[in-house]
Amino acid sequence: MVLLAAAVCTKAGKAIVSRQFVEMTRTRIEGLLAAFPKLMNTGKQHTFVETESVRYVYQPMEKLYMVLITTKNSNILEDLETLRLFSRVIPEYCRALEENEISEHCFDLIFAFDEIVALGYRENVNLAQIRTFTEMDSHEEKVFRAVRETQEREAKAEMRRKAKELQQARRDAERLGKKAPGFGGFGSSAVSGGTTAAMITETIIETEKPKVAPAPSRPSGPSKALKLGAKGKEVDNFVDKLKSEGENIMTSVGKRSTEAAKVLAPPINMESVHMKIEEKISLTCGRDGGLQNMELHGMIMLHISDEKFARIRLHVENEDKRGVQLQTHPNVDKKLFTAESQIGLKNPEKSFPINSDVGVLKWRLQTTEESFIPLTINCWPSESGNSCDVNIEYELQEESLELNDVVIMIPLPSGVGAPVIGEIDGEYRHDSRRNLLEWCLPVIDAKNKSGSLEFSIAGQPNDFFPVQVSFISKKNYCNIQVTKVTQVDGNSPVRFSTETTFLVDKYEIL
Amino acid sequence: MTAAENVCYTLINVPMDSEPPSEISLKNDLEKGDVKLKTEALKKVIIMILNGEKLPGLLMTIIRFVLPLQDHTIKKLLLVFWEIVPKTTPDGRLLQEMILVCDAYRKDLQHPNEFIRGSTLRFLCKLKEAELLEPLMPAIRACLEHRHSYVRRNAVLAIYTIYRNFEHLIPDAPELIHDFLVNEKDASCKRNAFMMLIHADQDRALDYLSTCIDQVQTFGDILQLVIVELIYKVCHANPSERARFIRCIYNLLQSSSPAVKYEAAGTLVTLSSAPTAIKAAAQCYIDLIIKESDNNVKLIVLDRLVELKEHPSHERVLQDLVMDILRVLSTPDLEVRKKTLQLALDLVSSRNVEELVIVLKKEVIKTNNVTEHEDTDKYRQLLVRTLHSCSVRFPDMAANVIPVLMEFLSDNNEAAAADVLEFVREAIQRFDNLRPLIVEKMLEVFHAIKSVKIYRGALWILGEYCSTKEDIQSVMTEVRRSLGEIPIVESEIKKEAGELKPEEEVTVGPVQKLVTEMGTYATQSALSSSRPTKKEEDRPPLRGFLLDGDFFVAASLATTLTKIALRYVSLVQEKKKQNSFIAEAMLLMATILHLGKSSLPKKPITDDDVDRISLCLKVLSECSPLMNDIFNKECRQSLSHMLSAKLEEEKLSQKKESEKRNVTVQPDDPISFMQLTAKNEMSSKEDQFQLSLLAAMGNTQRKEAADPLASKLNKVTQLTGFSDPVYAEAYVHVNQYDIVLDVLVVNQTSDTLQNCTLELATLGDLKLVEKPSPLTLAPHDFANIKANVKVASTENGIIFGNIVYDVSGAASDRNCVVLSDIHIDIMDYIQPASCTDAEFRQMWAEFEWENKVTVNTNIIDLNEYLQHILKSTNMKCLTPEKALSGYCGFMAANLYARSIFGEDALANVSIEKPIHLGPEAPVTGHIRIRAKSQGMALSLGDKINLSQKKTSL
Repeated sequence: MVLLAAAVCTKAGKAIVSRQFVEMTRTRIEGLLAAFPKLMNTGKQHTFVETESVRYVYQPMEKLYMVLITTKNSNILEDLETLRLFSRVIPEYCRALEENEISEHCFDLIFAFDEIVALGYRENVNLAQIRTFTEMDSHEEKVFRAVRETQEREAKAEMRRKAKELQQARRDAERLGKKAPGFGGFGSSAVSGGTTAAMITETIIETEKPKVAPAPSRPSGPSKALKLGAKGKEVDNFVDKLKSEGENIMTSVGKRSTEAAKVLAPPINMESVHMKIEEKISLTCGRDGGLQNMELHGMIMLHISDEKFARIRLHVENEDKRGVQLQTHPNVDKKLFTAESQIGLKNPEKSFPINSDVGVLKWRLQTTEESFIPLTINCWPSESGNSCDVNIEYELQEESLELNDVVIMIPLPSGVGAPVIGEIDGEYRHDSRRNLLEWCLPVIDAKNKSGSLEFSIAGQPNDFFPVQVSFISKKNYCNIQVTKVTQVDGNSPVRFSTETTFLVDKYEIL
Repeated sequence: MTAAENVCYTLINVPMDSEPPSEISLKNDLEKGDVKLKTEALKKVIIMILNGEKLPGLLMTIIRFVLPLQDHTIKKLLLVFWEIVPKTTPDGRLLQEMILVCDAYRKDLQHPNEFIRGSTLRFLCKLKEAELLEPLMPAIRACLEHRHSYVRRNAVLAIYTIYRNFEHLIPDAPELIHDFLVNEKDASCKRNAFMMLIHADQDRALDYLSTCIDQVQTFGDILQLVIVELIYKVCHANPSERARFIRCIYNLLQSSSPAVKYEAAGTLVTLSSAPTAIKAAAQCYIDLIIKESDNNVKLIVLDRLVELKEHPSHERVLQDLVMDILRVLSTPDLEVRKKTLQLALDLVSSRNVEELVIVLKKEVIKTNNVTEHEDTDKYRQLLVRTLHSCSVRFPDMAANVIPVLMEFLSDNNEAAAADVLEFVREAIQRFDNLRPLIVEKMLEVFHAIKSVKIYRGALWILGEYCSTKEDIQSVMTEVRRSLGEIPIVESEIKKEAGELKPEEEVTVGPVQKLVTEMGTYATQSALSSSRPTKKEEDRPPLRGFLLDGDFFVAASLATTLTKIALRYVSLVQEKKKQNSFIAEAMLLMATILHLGKSSLPKKPITDDDVDRISLCLKVLSECSPLMNDIFNKECRQSLSHMLSAKLEEEKLSQKKESEKRNVTVQPDDPISFMQLTAKNEMSSKEDQFQLSLLAAMGNTQRKEAADPLASKLNKVTQLTGFSDPVYAEAYVHVNQYDIVLDVLVVNQTSDTLQNCTLELATLGDLKLVEKPSPLTLAPHDFANIKANVKVASTENGIIFGNIVYDVSGAASDRNCVVLSDIHIDIMDYIQPASCTDAEFRQMWAEFEWENKVTVNTNIIDLNEYLQHILKSTNMKCLTPEKALSGYCGFMAANLYARSIFGEDALANVSIEKPIHLGPEAPVTGHIRIRAKSQGMALSLGDKINLSQKKTSL
């Protein structure tokens, strides 16, 4: 969108005033303006002409034309907007839309044109603003002048006083027969006057500053937010479709994406010895209670990035009482582990591999014991007429855990619209495309161990299963921790860092 | 550098009342006047400088007496003054006075009035002197933190342009602006800052964008626009980045501002060519067209859609949207509808043709109900044509369309009806299975036809394609019905006698001389009859035509009757029936002949028509098989010939188009590797915005001719003789709208020539841009003087002038050498162009100026003469090659050209070879030139006159 020039032409095509907003030679602009009347078409219902290199957009105004010359790629909608503004400016300054009236006020017009367009881009101004800008009526200038005047007056008064004093002094001196002092005092007082002036203006500026600071804030509110959410879904649809057509799309933009990742996993200061303790649970429950199967896999991964700390031992603390089966890496000294629950290599001379993740300890827990379920879900649909009321509640059994970003996904019958939500702890989201009700709970812990959701929708009890749950947690289930890391030689402790995650592989209520 | 080549920001064309004020009086006003007087004087100074005067003496006066004033108007006027006043000495050094001015700038930048600060900053954008800018930099930076957004946003612009022009003055500008942008709240400031980053440092712009990409929808429209621009730029410089922005662009596609939507759609198309993306963009365009009420928008956005269509893979997507595109037809503007229909027609495929035809049919029917408007007719015509092309391409549709369209044969509007007729003719010839349907329908509407031309066409179709006995008989009945009671003469006389007062005052209107297309003068007498009109109303149509004196229709009726009679004879074996049918036909013809010879019709029958009817009578009476053949087979043959030729032509043009679209890559074409191309090279290749801006500013470098020296020397004109004291020659360089005279002046004397001035004056539509400045020539020295002349049209241009000089030391008057005239060759402005026949005819009728040039040449071959004229006038021959080929002793051709100022020039060449003068006789004839302006017609005529003789081989 680049506006090259704005001109006022007579009907005959003579350009009376023209202002260019980009660097153009005189011959070029004159040539363009001279060509305009010949290209202009009368009797058509549109008001633009295109040539090989430029586009003219014009508006007839009685005996004149307001013409804009733009590039051919320019945004026509924007240009028309600008043109409208331009043509409203002219009657502001000229009483009659005639040639001599325009030439009389040509400079006013030029000044106004300057306010509308900057370097070929439209400024966001309206008629009233243009008026203010061209009138240049500045409050600050007035204040400045007033201050200046009072200062001058004061300075004059001071001068007079000083002069009088001097005179007095001279007279006194004459009377006393002494020599009169110089005029130095006068000069210095003038200087001091000047500095106070500067000080005063500064303070004025500072005091007024906060008045402007509150900028128009973005419109916000629940309704707006909802709307945006809906739009987001539409965008997702669009992006999904594009992806299916082989277009490569990143969900988020560069820097932003890394930031987003950081938000999910807050920065862990990786020491040169770093441990990842990861547990994955896969669980299948019956809808009437009863654990069909629960399997939990855990692993400690060791990552050493400094050669100095390659020969170390890990002190593991195992507080498990559920009968977890532990298993060490074949290269790890099993005896040392069973006896002192330390992990070290069989050959103490050898060192752990550097700069790679090494699994050193694995554990597994398989059970059908109901009390071991970390989070129980009780989903109770009851039919009433042709609709179904569903009550669903969760309870955290394992109180030491803290589950984050819990999402309980309840399938819904298709084609019956959105569910009517009764009571809810937390938030819900209805995904109509996948026919899912997502019950989102940012955090579940001991303080907040249970909650419920009530909704009703047409359907049968069978429709609402299997319920799926997903969450992540930073505490692990089996409570296996590394408490200390020491060097093989000398047993001196080594600084280390750990990262614990507890993830869901599969968590279903059938 | 002359003023013409300088950057120019302001043009003011004010008629100066009487004499321009003298420098002295201006000086006086500027020095001693009050504020008002000073303002006026300053305005005058500015206007004079803009118009090419140089007022170097006033600079100091203005600095001393105007610069210190605090008046706001004066301050602003001064900014304009500083824009245009030369700030350097001729050798490029800064004027010393400017140091004083620079201090004034600095004060203004710290002025308490925010508007003065702002406008000074804006002015600094235009300042190109680094020496002046350098001391101002701290003040400019300080303005970035001013509390008024007006100051801030102009400060950003100033920093941007300074950084662009003199990076060393503010090397940290991108960083500075980036920090500024992060903390800025005002939309305008943000926009300007962002724009600056886009151009100065894209990475930072991207950084900023990525911090706020999710809030883009909430931004103001001007900011959204620059964001779209950034994305466009980034993705063109760096196609791998595309993936990051598609989501953002899609969000912007839903912006509330139509301008942003439009821009975003355009960018989305460049980002991705996936069908969904194209569809989203196209949908957005269509929405814009429908929602925006402005025709300009509609047309330009339609152009975008047409561009989209050019891409073969996008075309498929658009085809699905044809129905949406057709919604645009609800616009009343004809241009928009025309473009829409054209686009729809281009997109039609076997999948959507059915729906398209349904919509078009609905539209056609709608035009019937609309109150008559001049455009309605044209629109109907357009619709008919579109339907025509549709059914030519998809013959299945024809059966569907024809019945609806044939209703329009009886329309008052001849143009639409003629189109329908043409369509029907093609359909009936090409689709055998439709013949019965068409004939039946035709018979149905036949009696309602109101226009003679259509009547003739319909008659022909009926005569040609009625093949069953029943049809033939019904044609006969229809004809009888529309002819009324026969014999015509007697019944008419009877009627006349029945009238109370047989008035037959036929007043002959003034004879009007009309110029026909070929340049011959046709006399058309306007006959106006004062017969009571009610009588005409109850007349059957054909009879009405005949009584109006239109006997051409009678001739075609005769042919039709002959045809069907001959066919009837071959169909019906019964001798008696045969004879009675033939007799009836002959009776009809005879009675028409009789009528023609009587005094009843307004115009008597022409001899041609008499001949024709008599011939038909003779054919019928003899019934020879040869004639039968000619009438019933050869006619149709020629039609099918014509249609197939037309079809072929269309196919050829379509093929060409498709070839144009499928750009083939030659095996030896270089492959450009994105990674290997230089960065600037690539961005300039792709960035349409930049390209179009450069083109618009006229910066595109035109390619010089292959042999620049030779071509340059060709255009050198000698201005004075070799023995003159001053020798001068000029190289005439023609740019698009301006002529640069590069005059070489050589002092041939051994005196120093002082105040040597080149004085130029112009004749025709030329204007001298500025006076060349005087110079001093040492003995035997030479100098180059440049003068710019502006051309506004192709009128014959002559530049003449003289060189005036003083001889130093001599007491005599100024010496003067008169220069020979420079004729500007109009051929530099004339470019071949093409237009349709209809346009040509319309212009031919409209243009007022005709220049008839008698052919006077030594060329003996017609074709060669035409080629010669084409070459020497730069015009384009509109008459197709086929029509000109062959040899027959005469030739007529239409030529057309357009000047770069948009003036049309038409010419008609009518030449013949006088055979009686022997084979060596030169071509004779006339060339008629028509143009809107006298100058064009005259100068083109002169050109032809000058160049029509072939120079020696």
